[in-house]
This record gives sequence, C-alpha cells and structure tokens, in this order.
Amino acid sequence: MSPRVIGANLIVSIKSFYREKTAVFFRIAFPVLLILVFGTIFMNQDDVRFDFYVQDLDQSSSSAELVKTLELNDKFKITTVDPAINATQYAKHNKLNLVVVIPQDYEKSLMQRMKRKDLNASVTITYIYDPSSTSVSTKMQILNSVFAGINQRMSGKPPFITPAETSILNRKYRFIDFFVPGIIAMTVMTASLFGAVNVNAELRQKGVIKKLSTTPITHTDWILSNVLYQFILSVIATIAILLVSYGVFNVSLQMNVWLPVFVVLDVFAFVGIGMILTRVAKEAESAAAAANAIMFPMMFLSGTFFPVEMMPGFLQKFSRILPLYYVNEGLRASMIFGDNMIALRCSVIIGVFAAVVFVLGMMTTKWEEG
Amino acid sequence: MTKEAEHAIHVEKLTKRYGDLLAVNDISFTVRKGEVFAFLGPNGAGKTTTVEIIETIRTPTSGKVTLLDMDVTKKKHKIVRRIGVLPQGFSSFDRITVRETIQYYSRLFCCKDTDIDGLIELANLTDKSKEQFKNLSGGLKQRLGIAIALVNNPEVVFLDEPTTGLDPRARREVWDVLLGLKKKGKTVFLTTHYMEEAELLADTVAIISKGSIVAMGSPGELIERNANYLVLTLLSVDEKVFEIVQKMGFEPAHTNHKNIKVRVEHQDDVRRILNGIKDIGASFLSLDVRKPNLEEVFLKLTGAVLREDPAEEVAE
Repeated sequence: MSPRVIGANLIVSIKSFYREKTAVFFRIAFPVLLILVFGTIFMNQDDVRFDFYVQDLDQSSSSAELVKTLELNDKFKITTVDPAINATQYAKHNKLNLVVVIPQDYEKSLMQRMKRKDLNASVTITYIYDPSSTSVSTKMQILNSVFAGINQRMSGKPPFITPAETSILNRKYRFIDFFVPGIIAMTVMTASLFGAVNVNAELRQKGVIKKLSTTPITHTDWILSNVLYQFILSVIATIAILLVSYGVFNVSLQMNVWLPVFVVLDVFAFVGIGMILTRVAKEAESAAAAANAIMFPMMFLSGTFFPVEMMPGFLQKFSRILPLYYVNEGLRASMIFGDNMIALRCSVIIGVFAAVVFVLGMMTTKWEEG
Repeated sequence: MTKEAEHAIHVEKLTKRYGDLLAVNDISFTVRKGEVFAFLGPNGAGKTTTVEIIETIRTPTSGKVTLLDMDVTKKKHKIVRRIGVLPQGFSSFDRITVRETIQYYSRLFCCKDTDIDGLIELANLTDKSKEQFKNLSGGLKQRLGIAIALVNNPEVVFLDEPTTGLDPRARREVWDVLLGLKKKGKTVFLTTHYMEEAELLADTVAIISKGSIVAMGSPGELIERNANYLVLTLLSVDEKVFEIVQKMGFEPAHTNHKNIKVRVEHQDDVRRILNGIKDIGASFLSLDVRKPNLEEVFLKLTGAVLREDPAEEVAE
C-alpha cells in the first residue's frame, strides 16, 4: 500500500468531482433539496396534532364543555361548524375527513342522567367521515377512548385499570427528526454504490483501468483510494444535510460516535456491492442499471422515507434482509433515541455484511484481462 | 555480455488461446535493446494480444516471454516500473488537464524527478497543458498518451497502434514524437497496421497474420527477400490498354477506373508493355516504375489487404 499513490488517486477523483457540476448536484445538493422539500411538507406534524370539525347542534354550556374536553390539551385542533348547515354536504364540499356532530338535547339528556339518575337517558355522537382518509381511523379511535372515559366516569365507579402515558422519547420529536437519519443513510448508499459502479465500469470501458494495470498502482491502493474518496464525499454530504436540518428546521438529534461508524459501514457495504456489480455486468450502462435495480427497492422498502411498520407483513420481513434497513435503524436508534444497544446490534449486522461484500468485491475486481 | 542482456524482449513459442480461438500461434522473436520493433498486421492478427502479454496485462497459454531478463508472468511489479505503455485506444480522466494527468501518472510511479515540462514539450502539448482531456482531439490524446508512457523514463516503450483513427496530419505529428524517441535511443515496441509507419520508424518489422509471424527483418530486407519484381503504374489510360496488357500475359489491376498497376519481373517487361500500347495507338498520361513497398510484400505473404479504406478510420 502506497500513501503517495492513494493520495494521487484521491486528488484526481476530487478534481474530477468538483469539475463535474451534475455530480456535485446529485451528491450534495440533491439530498439537501430532499431535506428541504420533505421537511417543509411535514414541518407542521409536530407531536402528531390532529384536527377535526365539530358541529354543536345543542349550543349549550354542557356541549361547549364537551368540545373543550375533546381538545385534549391541544392534541386536537377543533374547528366548529355552523349548526344551521348540512354537515355531510359541508364535509364533502370542503373535503373534510371527520366532522363530529353533537346532537340537540345533549344537555337535557345529560341532566336526566346526572340529576335524575335516569339510566335510559343517552345521546348519540355522530362521526361524519371520509373512509378513504388514512388518519381518520386514528382520530375516531382516540375519540372513542375519550367517550369511553366519559361514560366510565358517569357510571360513578372508579376505574379498575388506569392507563398512564410515558413517552419513550426524552424530548419532543418531529417528522424531520426521523427523516434526517434516513436521508443520510440513503445519500451515503447511492453515492457509494454509483461511485463504485461509475469509477470501475466507466474507466474499464474507456481503457483507463488497462493503462493503470501497467503502472505500479495495486488493486489495494486503487480500492482504498476509492473508498476514501467515497467516504470524504459522504462526510461532506452528511455535513451539508445536518447543517440544513439544524439551520432551517432546528432538528433535535444526538451527535455521537455512531454517526461516523454507520457512514463508514454504509460506504464499505455499498462500494463492495458496486465492485461486484461492475464485475458481473461488464458494460457501464448495464452496471448502472443493475445498481438502480438494487437502489430503488432499498430506498423505499428499508424505512428511509416512511416507517417499515406501515408496510404489509411480508414486505416488513423483506425489509429486514435489506442492508440499508440496518443503517436506517442504527442511525435512528443512536441519533434520536440514544439507544446504544440497538445501534450496536445494527452496526454488527451491517458490519458483517459490509465485510463480506467488500472482500467479495476485492476478490472479483481484476485488472488482468486473462 | 550475455545474449539475454542484449535483448530487451525475448519471446519463445508463445501461444494464446481464448477458448477455441487461437489468437497467437507459437510465435518466437527477440527485440534488441535500442531498436524500434514494429509488429505489423491487420486487425485481429494477434498484435495486441501479443503486446499485452509482454506488457503483463494478459497471461500466455503457453510459451515463455522475458522482458529485461524477467519472466513477465512472475515479475509484473518489477517490470511495470521499467516499461512505458500506450495502450490501444488510450483514454484518461475526462476532467483532468494535460499537466495534471502527467503529474498523476508520475506520482503513481513515485517519480520525484519527472520533467513534466520536458514531456509536455516532447509531446508538443505546451499550449494545451491546461486543457482538460475531454477537450483534446484524437491526435492530442495520443500524444499525451505517449508523454505519459515516458513519465518513469522507461527502458522499453510499448505503443499499441498509436496512430489508428487519426487523420494524416495528426498521424504525422505523432510520428514526429516517435522519431524523437528513436533519436533518444529508446527501445520501442510498436504495433501498427500502417505500412508507412513501420517503414518510416522501424528497424525491424515482424509481419503477423492469423496469429503467426510470416516474415521478419528490416523493411529493406523484407522487400529484397520477398519482392524481387517491379511495379509499373500507368495513369489515365485508355480503355484498350488494360486488354492489351492482359493479352501480353501480365496480370493488370485497376487502382481506380483510370489507372492500372502491373507487376513485372524486369525492365524489359516495361519496354514490352509500352511498345504494345504504342502499337495499338492507345495512350496514357504518365507512368511510374518502382520497387514494391511493404504493403505489397504483406499482400504477397499473407494474401490479405493490410487495412481498410483509410477514410473510414479517420476519427477527427
């Protein structure tokens, strides 16, 4: 191994990179743009605050108190609907996914139950909802539990089981906090995978590798300089992502040693896959197509953009065999929850995978033509 | 001094197979130190396979190849430090300038004393030193490739088809650089399918066809040995001339629709043909009588045309 040769390769790679404007865009600016776009779209999803509409047909002090109760310490943002209008038409017209209708005589029925102990006195709260909405079932579940609580209190008996809520998070987190580690993992993956494929396949196709094989540079020098180059670019991209995330969205993430550990393992794993692909698919174009075929499922099925738990069961099982899943999980565990045990478990899994594919990549990378 | 020490390259019974294809068939030759050795043959003859085996890029199926007294299959790392290579269809990093490219290769050889300016000047690239590789023409790229092949001051320089695809002017510019190498006394192994390139530059020419060497010697020796005849060319002839020459027992060939070329044994044959043309009252614009060139020797030895229409090969 020659540091001088590795240095020479590194200089050429970095000069080639910053003189190629599209490469700079896709490797640095593109992930930053993703952060800006997704961060802006989801920036209002703090604390999972739901909103819905209420039509109070009773217009009494009791019904007003119920509406206030439903706000649940600001968990719900409630907008009132004029009692004179047709709530169903109003929901359709305004594309609302949930309107809760409090009936007339709400207060009267309440008084019958409370003061006259009339157990037959009851009211029906109507949910006018859009079944195609993904969030409406969650809202209705929460409302049901609120009404169950009210019913239970009115029965006069103390509850046997009292739930207590304790958040697993030390602080409040938003969608952007969950999104940033995924984008870092994805950016490092795409840069390393395509970096390895482009460098090896294109230069081989152009005959540059053949020329290099007649110089003292060794495979080890070549591969290490490429890994180092990918790592430097990954660090630059990660810093850019973090700067934008902190500067624009004021994210709450923990910076610790796991971040560089996962970036390094991510680089080794995907440079290794890139080297294998380059050997299997001899043409630059087919190697790039193979890299795309690997990258896209990885990007969408390993929890980069949305939680794996949202996917059907069989896809969740599939996600757990994807290497990027463990980079995502590991980075989130360390940067959001500060959970060293999960980070360690994920780093071991991705570390073993990276070691295997990188060694295979080195073994399959040949300069001699046979 | 031993026999090996006088030779830069020694190839003995070299064979290379790719599956069922026999690319190089039991060839042997030596290259003396300080000479320009040209490997001449058409596309697919086995030139590049042979030179890449000597350069340590490929491995032989059988036979022995030594370069500077070292076995090419065993001493790759020592050999590459002492040779310079311009591979066929040379290419480099698109966005790196001429000067940076030479510096890069110099660093790969860990050469601290490479005369970068001298190499740029030798390759006649002074006014292009800040140009990126992707912006260079084919000829400039090849000249840069030659400069790179010299960064480690090699004892043997391999140039694999250095002028293929270049227009005549660019080709001559590359030849000027190669003549400079010859003057410096470098051992040069040149593969080409351009006859005039071999005639101009080479001390020794080996003609290879279908994987075998069919003739070897200096250009003069090859012509003397294989072509003891004359070539008569008649320009702008009458239509009747072709017929009368044929009737006289010669085998004329059209070089284009107006000119014909006739192979004759002696000066007397030339006189006979001219008299025959005069007798039938036909005419021609001019004539040329000369000894055959390497191309005709190649044609005689291999029965194959050495290269396609040059117009198709011009890349620029």
